[in-house]
Amino acid sequence: MKYKDFDPDKYKAVVLPGGFSFGDYLRAGSIAASTETMKKVKEMSNEGKVVIGICNGFQILVESGLLEGALLPNLSLRFISKWVYLKVIRFDTVLTRGLNKTIIRMPIAHAEGRYYHKDVERAKSLAVMQYSDEKGQVTPHANPNGSLLNIASIANEEGNVIGMMPHPERASFKLTSIDGSTDGLLLFRGLRRLEN
Amino acid sequence: MKINLSQYEMDLVRKGLGREPNEAEWLTIDALWSEHCAYKSSRVFLKSFPSTGERVVMGIEDWQDAGALDVGDGWAIVLKLESHNHPSAIDPFNGAATGVGGIIRDIISKGARPIALLDMIRVGDLSKSRNRWLLKNIIAGIGFYGNSIGVPVVGGELAFDSSYDDNPLVDVAGVGVVRRDRIIPSVVKEAGLKIVIVGLTGLDGLGGASFASRKLSGEDEIGAVQIADPFAGKIVLDSTLAVVDKVEAIKDLGGGGLVVGVTEMANGLGAVVELDKIPLRVKDMKPEEILVSETQERMLFAVKPEKVEEVCKEFEYYEYPCAVIGEFVKEPYIKFLYEGKEVVNLPSSLLLNPPRYIWNVKKPIRKVGERPNINLEDVIRKVVTHPDLVSKEWAYSQFDYEVGTSTVLKPGEADSALIELPNGKLLAIKGDANPDLCAEDPYECGKSIVAEAYRNLASVGAKGIGLVDHLQFGDPRKPEVYYYFVEAVRGIGEAARFFSTPIVGGKVSFYNENKEGKPIKPTPLVVMAGLVEGKFLRNKVFEGLDIVLIGLTRNELRGSLLTKIFGSFGDVPKARLNEDLLASELVIRAINEDKAFLVKDVNRGGLIASLFQILIKDFGVSISTKNIISDEEDILAKLFSENGGRFIVLTNDAEWFMRSSKGIHVSVIGKVVKESRRMRLDDTVIDLNKEVDQYYNFLYEVMG
Repeated sequence: MKYKDFDPDKYKAVVLPGGFSFGDYLRAGSIAASTETMKKVKEMSNEGKVVIGICNGFQILVESGLLEGALLPNLSLRFISKWVYLKVIRFDTVLTRGLNKTIIRMPIAHAEGRYYHKDVERAKSLAVMQYSDEKGQVTPHANPNGSLLNIASIANEEGNVIGMMPHPERASFKLTSIDGSTDGLLLFRGLRRLEN
Repeated sequence: MKINLSQYEMDLVRKGLGREPNEAEWLTIDALWSEHCAYKSSRVFLKSFPSTGERVVMGIEDWQDAGALDVGDGWAIVLKLESHNHPSAIDPFNGAATGVGGIIRDIISKGARPIALLDMIRVGDLSKSRNRWLLKNIIAGIGFYGNSIGVPVVGGELAFDSSYDDNPLVDVAGVGVVRRDRIIPSVVKEAGLKIVIVGLTGLDGLGGASFASRKLSGEDEIGAVQIADPFAGKIVLDSTLAVVDKVEAIKDLGGGGLVVGVTEMANGLGAVVELDKIPLRVKDMKPEEILVSETQERMLFAVKPEKVEEVCKEFEYYEYPCAVIGEFVKEPYIKFLYEGKEVVNLPSSLLLNPPRYIWNVKKPIRKVGERPNINLEDVIRKVVTHPDLVSKEWAYSQFDYEVGTSTVLKPGEADSALIELPNGKLLAIKGDANPDLCAEDPYECGKSIVAEAYRNLASVGAKGIGLVDHLQFGDPRKPEVYYYFVEAVRGIGEAARFFSTPIVGGKVSFYNENKEGKPIKPTPLVVMAGLVEGKFLRNKVFEGLDIVLIGLTRNELRGSLLTKIFGSFGDVPKARLNEDLLASELVIRAINEDKAFLVKDVNRGGLIASLFQILIKDFGVSISTKNIISDEEDILAKLFSENGGRFIVLTNDAEWFMRSSKGIHVSVIGKVVKESRRMRLDDTVIDLNKEVDQYYNFLYEVMG
């Protein structure tokens, strides 16, 4: 699928994957947010269809106003690739509904992933996953990029639009997983649960 | 613009041409005859490399941009290794980033999809702020390009030596995958094909090939550095791979720019190019500037006239410039026209036949001291905390090493990277160099780095199938420098022949010197690829496992990390390639029979450095030094010798190794114990808690 040829009426759901849309030259996701393609994605979200943004996809969703808040440069000002633990705290989204695990593991790889929202209470209510340690404790040490409340993922109130900085697709295959776990697959199975 | 040609070469040109070339023609010849493009001082020796084998699909003698090896099921991998040393010394961010871009375009030139990168970085001591600035920007530049374009950096090296103070080494290797029967040539075989360029030509990188072929002047040479644009690079990548079936030849416009691209692609045929038709980034560029600009993200295609429109449509979808600028002709002359006038008109044969040089050699005299009287505990602490051996997480965490979801073993996890190929096979890949040993004995060193790469691949369960090399030295006209070059080539070639790992590609980078004209330590580098034929190993450590040392330890400490720190003494380690082969075979068998939990090659820092890798996992080791089998009873040799042919293996079946060894020494030298970060050597317990902390934190603390 090439981005200019995208027809939203053909699909029930859209995943905006990671990458560097338009080189992320101005600010991560900002140029992509103003494309015709994103207008079509907005239509889908308004119709209640599923919209998922992973990494750069999350940045685009925030830049285009489909999700609240902002993704700022990492506190270290460096790109960070790292496997992290996540604590799932909202189970009413398309990815987490019916999930039977609360601590999951997958990698992050981004330079601009520090979640920010001017209303802390609001951020708390939208958050889906937080960076945590192995035991699920949400500590400053477990926060790789300085995100507000260790937030790694948020969704809209309805739960049909969800963005996450970590990469579930990179934790979906036993061979390429750091420890053989495939927690990313558990999230994608949420989409199948939706289908049924 | 500066011209590098010698008086002798200029006379050669005048004689061959029968007239005085104009300025544009001098620039053209200067680029094509640059050491960077023409291998004037190296080709005679490079021809000695073993370049054939059953897996070789495209070898060094094809003199293409990259080499290719068969990996089964109709697939081939394309390998390429190149440095971007001089640009990185001036503008480390753009220099390193464009180094990555160049490698990627070399791979797509063959019609292959790039799937992995390695970076081998060498800079001066980090106590100097300029070196920190260089390193910070080199790493950021590689990340900027590789991360954006979506090709993972899966491994590499980061090492330090003061000889790189003014002249850092930035080597990037790339791996691509392609159907074996779909590899695209870089040269044309017939006249009448249209020359198509994609991308804008600007004012950056003017005369870059010539710049790379002389020592850094210390003057303002920023104009010779290219600027990186990874988004454009991504469009070029995707669109080029989409048109591979519609073109006859592809060439990256790299070193030397358009003149080199067109002339090399014509490969003896002629070409007529109209410079006015080239899409420009800035107005009013002079024809001479268009000729030798090295603006990145440009490709050259040879296309049948009826297919031109189809090819350009692919690029125009992304609003990327694509233009027909001329055609290949029978008459063997390279002509560039501007506003209807001939700017360049030179015979192909002159351009493609630069002089060859065999310079004088002289063996350098090395100073060797006495064995120092040093405190063992002190030595251990100093060696394991040397910056060459610390965790490189600070660097590789800035790379998206998992994009593409094919990275099986991640950076820092093992002695070799491991990636999954489209046919499901696992490819191991590793780069190795050893400048301290090369400075002592380039021939033994040449053999050793190939052997080390072979062992590194074996440590994850893979068998080497081929390699690419990059030879980095000072000014070849200096006899001592040329001696290093010639001897290293001899060693690399010999070992590659021994291991049946043909050399399918390579580059040479001369004129790596500091401002005073002092050359870098000779730094030949090899990158070897191998395949896992059965099982692969993901290292694990458990308490109670036996530590088995495979191979014989020899009292050969010269060129080691120990002597780098405490002063040179002892013998030069000889590369006994059969030991490397037998030890590697034993290790691969152990992995396949589930006898090995961790395998670590013994190399830089000696046995101690290998054992330290267990301590960083928060375990301890208990070692009986009398069980370390060595040719002389010297504790320094036992613990710090870097002679080849050795591994340590963690196992719960040490007996198996004794029974299975064919001609290789095997001994149980100790056990993994639960006392975290402690090393017991016979009756002495050394607490290395601080050193392990330093291992993890050093680069973060120094680099901020």
